[in-house]
Amino acid sequence: MNIRFKIASALLTNIRIDLRRPHDFAHERVGFIAAGLAAAHDELLILAREYRPVQDDEYLRDPSVGAMMSAEAIRRARQWAIDDRVAVFHVHTHGGRGVPGFSGVDIRENAKFVPNFVSVAPQCVHGAIVLSDSAAFGQVWLDRKSSQPFIATFSEIGMPIRTWRAA
Amino acid sequence: MSRLDRQSFLGPNSDAILNAATIGLVGLGGGGSHVGQQTAHMGIGGFVNVDPDVIEDTNTNRLIGGTLADVAVSLPKVTIAERLIRGLQPNARIFSIRADWRDVVDDLKLCDVIVGAVDGFKEREQLERFARRHLIPYLDIGMDVHDLGKKGCLVSGQVIMSMPGAPCMRCCGFITDERLEQEAKLYGAAGSRPQVVWSNGVLASTAVGLLTQILTSWYQDPPSFVFLDYDGNKGTLTRNPRMELLQNCACPHHPPDETGDPLFDIRARSFRPRAAAAAPAVERPVPWWRRAWNRLTGQNV
Repeated sequence: MNIRFKIASALLTNIRIDLRRPHDFAHERVGFIAAGLAAAHDELLILAREYRPVQDDEYLRDPSVGAMMSAEAIRRARQWAIDDRVAVFHVHTHGGRGVPGFSGVDIRENAKFVPNFVSVAPQCVHGAIVLSDSAAFGQVWLDRKSSQPFIATFSEIGMPIRTWRAA
Repeated sequence: MSRLDRQSFLGPNSDAILNAATIGLVGLGGGGSHVGQQTAHMGIGGFVNVDPDVIEDTNTNRLIGGTLADVAVSLPKVTIAERLIRGLQPNARIFSIRADWRDVVDDLKLCDVIVGAVDGFKEREQLERFARRHLIPYLDIGMDVHDLGKKGCLVSGQVIMSMPGAPCMRCCGFITDERLEQEAKLYGAAGSRPQVVWSNGVLASTAVGLLTQILTSWYQDPPSFVFLDYDGNKGTLTRNPRMELLQNCACPHHPPDETGDPLFDIRARSFRPRAAAAAPAVERPVPWWRRAWNRLTGQNV
């Protein structure tokens, strides 16, 4: 299976702007992207719909990481997945240019909370995405048992379309 | 030096970008055949060509690449398009599909851009809706000839670029319930509509220019919504006033929460690769009985 993530340029720009906002104590901001899904032959298309930031009071003080979400932030995002039957992707940015990668903390934390989304909305895939200022990288949870493939291709739909291979 | 050297202003990686792109051409008649030819010249590498029809005698006034010999053997329009494209892009990834586009949506879902050169408002609206659901830019071209009575005829047409999130064909008043209703009433009674090669050429060339803007960054900040009116009598292609009025408006007709396949369930899906795109076709000789028939009926093959 090849996985392609498509997002409108305007939405991606708004996400980057939002994630750059400073927070009182967290070193970075995080949010969630809801997406519709489509399949064609051996391709899974993840089609971004909407972004919701984690609210200011949903960050926990944890100096060991850039940002730590509260349980309430995760609960709200899970509710979104249930109510709207959407795929939900955690998103944050590392800034810089080129295709970014997950840090060790990202890998550890993603593995803790993303499977919860699969439990409550198993008809969809869910996952995590990390942005740079020019690209993105992501991983997908298909269910609770299978390995978690990386998103192979990203397409930013704007004028012009930008496509990059990430895995 | 490559054959695309003279279009290097499109950007340093434009050859690779164009070659990597896959476009869906829905309708390979008068308008779509022009688009197929021009995009092959430009170096587009992937094509999903969809049209259920074969060439007929009355198509030859405008179907680019079509010949009288093709009429004699009722060659599918997608086969003619593939032959034309392969003459310029021998290794192009081409799916030639002789079917209604609604029967081959999986192939179209994987296109970077879809160009619709179809008849009728209903089909246009469905194609645009499909493109929006899959975040695919959609380019629409079409022409018509209106009887002005004693004043003669008016040749008119439109080119519309419909980007996800930007105004759509309903926003710009091109698709309306009234037009759909009127079309439904006339269904089956419309007969063949007048079409000419030169106006199809103007509209298709304009659409190919917009396609190039979607794929390459040859100038800064091109508009994300385009609605152009063609007047074949005056010889003008002008911006419809709604193009400026709607430039920064969001589309209420295709909300983001419609993206994706309705009721998608990953647990019920199987993922299998599609058979590879067809290899370059070897031209088959016309069979003896067909040649004999053509001689008897006086057709020039």
